[in-house]
Amino acid sequence: MDFRETDEIGLLREAVAGIAGKYGHSYYVQQSRAKEPTTALWDELSAGGFMGVNLPEAFGGGGGGMTELAVVCEEVAAVGCPMLLMLVSPAICGSIIAKFGTTEQQQRWLPGLSAGRKMVFAITEPDAGSNSHSISTTATRHGGGYRINGQKYYISGVDEADAVLVVTRTGIDERTGRGQMSLFVVDTDAPGLTKETIDMQILEPEKQFTVYFDNVEVGPDRLLGVEGEGLRPLFAGLNPERILTAAIVNGIARYALDKAADYARERNVWGVPIGAHQGLAHPLAKAKVDVELARLMTARACWEYDNDLDAAESSNMAKLAATDASLAALDQAIQIHGGNGMTTDYGLATLWGMTRLLRIAPVSREMILNFVSQHSLGLPRSY
Amino acid sequence: MNVIVCVKQIPDPALPGALDPATNTLKRDGKLILDESDSYGVEMALQLVDAAGGGEVSLVSMAPNGEVSGMRTALAMGAARGVLVSDPALQGSDALTTAKVLAAAVRRLGGADLVIAATESSDGYTGTVPEQMAELLGLPSVTFAKKVAVEGTSVKVQRQTEEGYDEVTCTLPALLSVTAGVVEPRYPSFKGIMAAKSKPIDEVKAADLGISPVGWAGAGQQIASVTQAEARAAGEIIEDDGEGFTKIVAYLENLKVI
Repeated sequence: MDFRETDEIGLLREAVAGIAGKYGHSYYVQQSRAKEPTTALWDELSAGGFMGVNLPEAFGGGGGGMTELAVVCEEVAAVGCPMLLMLVSPAICGSIIAKFGTTEQQQRWLPGLSAGRKMVFAITEPDAGSNSHSISTTATRHGGGYRINGQKYYISGVDEADAVLVVTRTGIDERTGRGQMSLFVVDTDAPGLTKETIDMQILEPEKQFTVYFDNVEVGPDRLLGVEGEGLRPLFAGLNPERILTAAIVNGIARYALDKAADYARERNVWGVPIGAHQGLAHPLAKAKVDVELARLMTARACWEYDNDLDAAESSNMAKLAATDASLAALDQAIQIHGGNGMTTDYGLATLWGMTRLLRIAPVSREMILNFVSQHSLGLPRSY
Repeated sequence: MNVIVCVKQIPDPALPGALDPATNTLKRDGKLILDESDSYGVEMALQLVDAAGGGEVSLVSMAPNGEVSGMRTALAMGAARGVLVSDPALQGSDALTTAKVLAAAVRRLGGADLVIAATESSDGYTGTVPEQMAELLGLPSVTFAKKVAVEGTSVKVQRQTEEGYDEVTCTLPALLSVTAGVVEPRYPSFKGIMAAKSKPIDEVKAADLGISPVGWAGAGQQIASVTQAEARAAGEIIEDDGEGFTKIVAYLENLKVI
């Protein structure tokens, strides 16, 4: 077992941190306040090939894996610019198309995704949050293709994307009563597709949308995988989603810990730096331990995914551990800063909403604990 | 057009440095990184080769323990190959020996249209190696280059001076030392990073280059002793009551800097 990172990963960290560092957290805040995407940063990272590091070289990608994409996500977040759409576009959509798309579909979408074009992902519905078996958006055969009807919500970045990967129901399994799912790639400007922004109490450059599908017609070439068997491609996207959520919050945690440690070393109230007080030092040290443990599990999940092993357990555990650790680190960083922690200038409270969100989405803490109870511990299914 | 860049691999300046008390030299046994002042030379070389429409950028470096981390950064930026001279016998080498070794490494690569070095390294600061190399290689040398353009068989250089810059034209092949900040060093692309590991680095010893004596034996200098730099005196804080600038002006006048 060798825990040292390779020289290539070291160079990757340096390059991404260097590019993202030119923008920094103030850019993130400025774009978020203006409700504008962080396009300049996204484009510069895309130009360096960093958005498609995990996609196949044959389609313009970097030929790396989840390990490399997680490093990119973490480093960008570690300068205070968490990029939610990285976990959606190259990670979920890119992984699904790379694994389950036909050669034609791969040629159609992967070069764009590798170059930084965006595809977003629509699964969540008002009446089927974590229970994706009961989704009600349907795709029915029509002409040679399909007609999609239904509603999705909390869909990030639809306004920035060329297309949206939509999870639909194309039938019901009569034995189980569960929906038979099918995945489609729908252009965001397709007739019948409309969207409405959801007002969120989160400082983020991406917008969240409710998306309505009203007789949206797609050709058969838009179906990913086999009709009714969408669960398999869907699962190919969900582990990357969990892993990259972990990577993003690990980056936020590093950012918070760095700021907190700097402040605690320099802030001097009663003749010594406040970091000399164990009441402040120990919680920060504990946060550091938890963050490093979460990063370790994230690296393991990446490694399992990249080696075609079952990464479900490690991805879920990494996501839970990382979001909990990150939120605790950010909370302690704010506490150490006192009132300053809640100002815009110190750039900590500005990340609270995003970090808190990622404890809920894309999969809640509770659903992960359900998974671990059932699959890791063999306990009875609770829901 | 082929360009060779001298790249020094140095201890990370962000980490506290340490001297070896036995030799009074900088400890260089950990991971070394590309000297930032050399990243400008690498960038300029890449731009010149691009502008020429063909050719290669090669690297020469001298570092202990077969260290290539800093060279990999330059290879990831786009350099094609490198020669690393790594040899325990080189420990204690002075600037002239370093110049002899690097000049021999340049010859080993078959020379180039242009050899580029930084004005000085960020850990040694002798600032003499490039000119010594030029002399050893029999090349014309232009120092403090802030802007460089190749035109046919000559190179036009804006040479930084205290007042402004000189315009210097020099025939190729030549050796330039470039100043920091003249170009913005690129960040390696992902493809560049992945390609770097398979780019060739030819590792040689001083004897392979026919350079002897080297290290302490070849050094024309001895480090007799090292003393701490004088601690900076506490500054004077001027409260700005709206007239603070007058006190600053008076202070600067007193120093005779304005």
